[in-house]
This record gives sequence, C-alpha cells and structure tokens, in this order.
Amino acid sequence: MTATLISEKRLLPPCRAACPAHVNVQAYVSLIQRGKFREAVEVIRKDMPFPAICGRVCFSPCEDACARVNVDQAVAIRALKRLVADIEHEQGRVTPEPIPKKYSEKVAIIGAGPAGLTAAYELAKLGYPVTVFERMSEPGGMMRYCLPNFRLEKFVVANEIAYIQDLGVEIKTGVEFGKDVTLESLKADGYKAVFIAIGTQKGMKLNVPGEDLEGVVNAVDFLRAVALGEHVTVGERVAVIGGGNTAIDAARTAKKLGAKEVMILYRRSREEMPALPHEVELAEKDGIKIYLLVAPKQIIGENGKVKAVECLRMRLAEPDESGRRRPVPISFSEHQYEVDMVIPALGQVAETECLPAEVLSKEKRGPPLQVDPLTLETNVPGVFAGGDIATGPASIIEAVGAGKKAAVSIHLYLTGQDLRKGREEKIEETTWVKNWSSIRKKERRYEAPIEKPHLSFEEAAEYLERTKQKARFEAFRCLGCGPCAECLASMDLCEGDKAVVDENRCIGCNVCAVICPVEAIKKNEKGIAQVNEDLCKGCGLCAARCPEQAITMKKLTNEQILTFALATLRR
Amino acid sequence: MEHNTPKIVCFMCNWTYCQEDLQVPSNVNIARVACIGRIDPVIVLETFAHGADGIMIVGCKPPDCHFVDGNLQAERTVKVLKKLMALTGLEPERLKLFWSSPLEEISFSYLAREFSEDVWKLGASPLKEPESKISVNLLAAKNAASDFRLRVLLGREEELTEFMNAYGEKISQKEFDALLDDVVKAEFIRHKIHVLTKTKPLSVKDLAEILGIKPAAVLRHITNMRRKGMIALDRVEGTTPLYKALEVK
Repeated sequence: MTATLISEKRLLPPCRAACPAHVNVQAYVSLIQRGKFREAVEVIRKDMPFPAICGRVCFSPCEDACARVNVDQAVAIRALKRLVADIEHEQGRVTPEPIPKKYSEKVAIIGAGPAGLTAAYELAKLGYPVTVFERMSEPGGMMRYCLPNFRLEKFVVANEIAYIQDLGVEIKTGVEFGKDVTLESLKADGYKAVFIAIGTQKGMKLNVPGEDLEGVVNAVDFLRAVALGEHVTVGERVAVIGGGNTAIDAARTAKKLGAKEVMILYRRSREEMPALPHEVELAEKDGIKIYLLVAPKQIIGENGKVKAVECLRMRLAEPDESGRRRPVPISFSEHQYEVDMVIPALGQVAETECLPAEVLSKEKRGPPLQVDPLTLETNVPGVFAGGDIATGPASIIEAVGAGKKAAVSIHLYLTGQDLRKGREEKIEETTWVKNWSSIRKKERRYEAPIEKPHLSFEEAAEYLERTKQKARFEAFRCLGCGPCAECLASMDLCEGDKAVVDENRCIGCNVCAVICPVEAIKKNEKGIAQVNEDLCKGCGLCAARCPEQAITMKKLTNEQILTFALATLRR
Repeated sequence: MEHNTPKIVCFMCNWTYCQEDLQVPSNVNIARVACIGRIDPVIVLETFAHGADGIMIVGCKPPDCHFVDGNLQAERTVKVLKKLMALTGLEPERLKLFWSSPLEEISFSYLAREFSEDVWKLGASPLKEPESKISVNLLAAKNAASDFRLRVLLGREEELTEFMNAYGEKISQKEFDALLDDVVKAEFIRHKIHVLTKTKPLSVKDLAEILGIKPAAVLRHITNMRRKGMIALDRVEGTTPLYKALEVK
C-alpha cells in the first residue's frame, strides 16, 4: 500500500533520490533507529538484491546527497547497510520461498553481473521464469572477478546470489553468448525476451610502444586471474597506470601479493581521481606511492621484459567535456621509473564480438549498443540491454538501477503494454528542514569496521552488541527528510498517522505551528490551522499541546493511547 | 495497609527500546506512542484516575529524537504534571521520566524494577481508596490540564523563553517558571471550585474552608471565573451569595 503511495508522488528524500536504484534509505535507517535490523535488510531487498555487497563497495551517492551535510556530516549510510547485512548473515538468513510462476513467458538474461542479476531478481519477484546465462564458472560478474577479496569477500557475493537463486532464478554458468547460445537459439528455445548485460570485460589499451612486453598485464586481467585463484607472479616493482578504483584495487592487490614497491601513475591531479577518496587513503596506508600528473610515453624493455616506464609530466589545462581538467604534456619532461611490471588500469570496453550485428550501433563512436535510455530497448524488439554495456564502465549501484529498469520494461513488453507510459520519473527532493542552524550538531559516531578484530565467541557477541548500539546511535542522526509514508519503520504503530484539525474548535493560537517539528501545520488565510499531509509525520506533538484540543490524530487518538495504557489495569 | 505489587503503566517512545529486546516485568504495562512528546497531560492523569500506582515515561535521550525535540516537550509536560500532582495530593514521585539511549547498557527491566520498588515504598495509589477525597482534586487537575491557559503556556514555553513574545520581550526561564507555577496553582483552584460547585451551589466561605485558602482569594478566582463563563450566581441565601458551576463548552 505504501509502495504505491510513494511511487505516485515521487517526493523523495535526497538520499533516495540520489540512489540510482532508489533504495529506501530513510526507511531502513529508521528501522535501525528502532533496533529492527532484520526488517531493515528486508526493506533494502525490496529495492535491490545486494545489501551486503553495496554495504561494502557502493560509492554511496546517498551519502553525498544526505541533507545532514548542511549541519555536520552525512549519515554513515553505507556502513549501516553493511552492518544490517552482516547481522543477517551472522544470525543466518531465512531461505525465502520460491516465488510461484505467474507468467509462462520465459526470459533470458545474458551475463550474471549486478545488472543481469538484478533484472532476474525483479522479474522473478514478478513471477516470470528467468534463466541467467553466464560465461564464467561462477556468477557475479565484476563483483566476483574484479573486486579483490579484501574489498569484497567472495562468500558475500555467493550469499547474495544464493538468495536470488532461492527465489527461483536459474543461473547457467559456463555458457557463452554468441557461441553456446545466440539470439536465434534462445528464441527457438521459447524465450520471449532477452536482456543483454554482458558488461565491459576488456581492459583498455595504453596505446604506447612496448605494450606487448612481458610484464605488462591489464588490471582487469590481473584481478580476474587473482580472483580465479590462478598462480599470478607479481614483479618486485610495479607501476599501475590510472586513477580509478580498479587502479587502486590492482595496486593494493599487487602489494598484498608481495610486490616490494607499488606506484600509481595518474595523469591528472588528485582531485580529478575517479577513485573513492577513502580507497586512495587506504592505498597510501598500504605503502603505495601515488605519482600525479604523469603519463606513460613508452614502456622500455630488455630481453622482451619490462625494464622501465618512461613518462611525461603533465599540466592541467581547461576542463574537457567530462568536466575534469584536461592534462597536457609538458615537452622534454621525460623521466623513467624502474619497474618490472606495468598494470594499465585505464578503463574497460565491451567485447562486441559476441553480439549479433543487428543490435550493434551503426555509429563508430560512443557505446557499442544503441539503447533507449528510458526503456533500455535495442533495435531488435524483445531484446533489451543495460548496465556497463550500454553506459560504459560504471558502478554496481548504477547497474542495479539499469537492471530494475530493464525488468519493468520486460514486464511491460511481455504483457503488451506501452513501455514508455508513466516511466518518466519526476522526482522531487524534499526535506522539511528550513533552518539548518536550528538543528543540533552531532558528529558521526559510526564507521564500518575496516578490519574485523579477531575475537573469541563471547567477545564477538559482545562486539556485535556494541556495534549495534553504535549503529542505532548513528541512525539517530538521520533527519528523516522524506514525507511520512517514507518511513516504514513505525508503520505497525502509527500506520501513517496524520493530524486532523477540528476547524470549529481551532482558534488560531499558532501553538501547533510552533510545536510542529517538520512545519507541517500552518495557519491558513482564515486563521485556522491546516495540516500539510505530505509533511506530517504523525508524531502527535501538536495534539498533545493544542490548547483547545482541536487537533486529534487519525489513528493514535488520545482514547487509543488510553486503551493501551489501561489494558492491564481494567481487570 | 497491606500492599501488593504496584501497577505500573509505561508510556514508551516507539523509537527507544527495540520491542524484541524488551523484558517487561509482569506488573508493567507498556503503551507505545509515536513520540513521548505525544503524551497529553490529560492522558497521564486519566491513567492515574484508573488506578495506576506509578507511571513511567521512557523516551530518547536528548539530543536524539526522531522528531527533533519531542523528548524536550515531554520534559515540559512532566514538569507541569508533577506540579499538578503535588496539588492533587498524589506523590509526584509516582511519575518519572526516563531517558534511554542505545549507547547505554541499562536494560528496561532494570529501570522498571527500580521504579516499581520506589513506587512500592510509596504504597498503593491513594486514588484506590473508596470515595477518596483526592478524586475530586484529580478531576480538577485533569480539567486544568485540558484547559486553554495551561496548555497554551506549555506550548509557548520554547517560543517565549528562547525567542521573544509579541512585545519583543524575552522572558527568562526563571520568570517563566514562576509564572507557570502561579498559573498551575490558579488553574487548579479554579477548576476545583468548578468541580465542587457542580454538584451543589456553594458560598465563598464554604469554598475557602474546603480549599484552605483565604475567602478574598476565592472571591478573586470566582470573579475571574464568572468573566470566563465558568460559574454563575445561583441564588442568595440571606446575605450569602451561592455560586454554581456552568457547563463549559
């Protein structure tokens, strides 16, 4: 009931509006306030299937948008999400019942990465039989094969995928699209819709001389080999080229695998680095050197092996189309770094060879697939594509957003409805706070544990209890910007309670307007208090204070409270 | 007088203790509210009237409140309620406000047991005695708490003490407390007069005797009440005017 209420209005708190998957942040933070950790995970799962993964590695646009920054710092949303997911894991997840198949139309999803799995999850929840085809031996895509273990443990990915499988999604691994299955074979097998979410798997090339020397390994290949458990030899001195998260991951992995010295070479300054700031800090803590404003000119080899990277110094010129300042080489600034391994981490491109020609874009530049940004349709009816393949390499949460979008499109397509109708989301960010100085400052009190301490069983229980308390404390920093129904936390009690003014009794004394914490009640032109139901959170402070007792609550009236209070006295 | 386990009613904020973690002693009844600021003073007095021996109000420790400062509003309510209870003849210790914070390790059952013990020492609620004199007082207190004057002062406290009144004056907390004290007393007496004269018309002298205050003070209250339409002259017996309560809308 509340879900429809929200989707009609689309009046969202900043955190939820900023999230590509529109996860109901306020609701689960509210549930954490009340100590309902299990319910919090369920709320996250309503919007996306990866609470534990996103709790670890999401770049958390929600925290950047958090209204609390106007007072002090953003609420530690990601850390809270991680905690609730970890608590669920610790206590044991309840295996969900497989969702009965309401529809007979089969859906095929190519690629078991975040986009594909989310689409499968959403479609399975709607009641479609879904099959996911994955080329690698394990599902998870980049989450499984590109994120190193110290950032995202493999068992976490496996657990989240197990949940999706429990819902009745079939995942076929070791099936390569374009070879083992094609669009035609899928159609022949009775699949009515296909979602292509193969991502961008190929590392971009440096395009400098000496790239074929032994000791030059692309970051994606390097991380994948490590994730696959292959025997990877790292050099003594390693240069990672690039400034994204993959570069940082590769550098830290190389260091952990035993490289004596690891350096990151980035052609712009630190401000332009796309990597998460705290990841960069962690890399520096690991002893990784970061050289800024340098770009490789060539890789110098000796006997077919890497000996050094020759670099040029750069200076920053005016911003380019990405908004970052463009690096310009400074002539005659060549200098060398003695290394025996070079890991280029410049981004990824899609492997387009496996894709049938008819879905490919005709244009040379831009993404390989021409996809409608609203519906994710390709040129071929019934074939949808999304995630990194359509947008270029992005984040997990953006892929989740694409997966959700694709699921809605596929559902509309299969039921023969208009794909575009009502899809254009008009989201309005709201917050009730008008005066930021009126809010008391409270510093952030909870951060996710970076290294979990080694503890005995009893200690661990106590540690968890303490962490829970700290997390609840942190959750109380949430201002609760969104409208009332946003918070599903107290629904069992208030059921979206609202204040009602008895117009015949109201004398316009304005006490309620002063009392209301969210400025939901105001005097109208007739001098009578009026409740703005979009803002009212149903706290009832006005009802408790109204001098004429003209304000009552819809659900939790005074009589209702009294009945609760006297339940055992009237015996 | 023998006394049994006291019956405790606990008004608890929906956001404090987690329902699942609560261990509630059998003599305690919990009523969850959206915020403890929601608690109307009338509800508390009504609960006492129905035989609660003690009432605990549990809310979030400032500065944590899901509704910014609902807990501070509750603090004000409790302050006034304690004054009213003292006037009623009900021990103010029977009402207690507790702060709970997720970082504190005191469990609810500990708080409840401590409070039960304190209330047990006070004995059973005097309102439980048949035909207790206090019940008239409690009715007066309840009416006072639901009347305009007290509530508007309560509602305006923050505005008046932290900002300014309509004349641009800032009232100090001390001044405000003194004013509140006066208003509570006056309102209580007026409503007691109102309750007393409801059943039968009484003279100023009778009232002064019952209330234990000077006749002049009673007359002043009655003048005020007549102006507000709470009371009217019923008849004159000899030279003594008798007053009777009017129905208040």
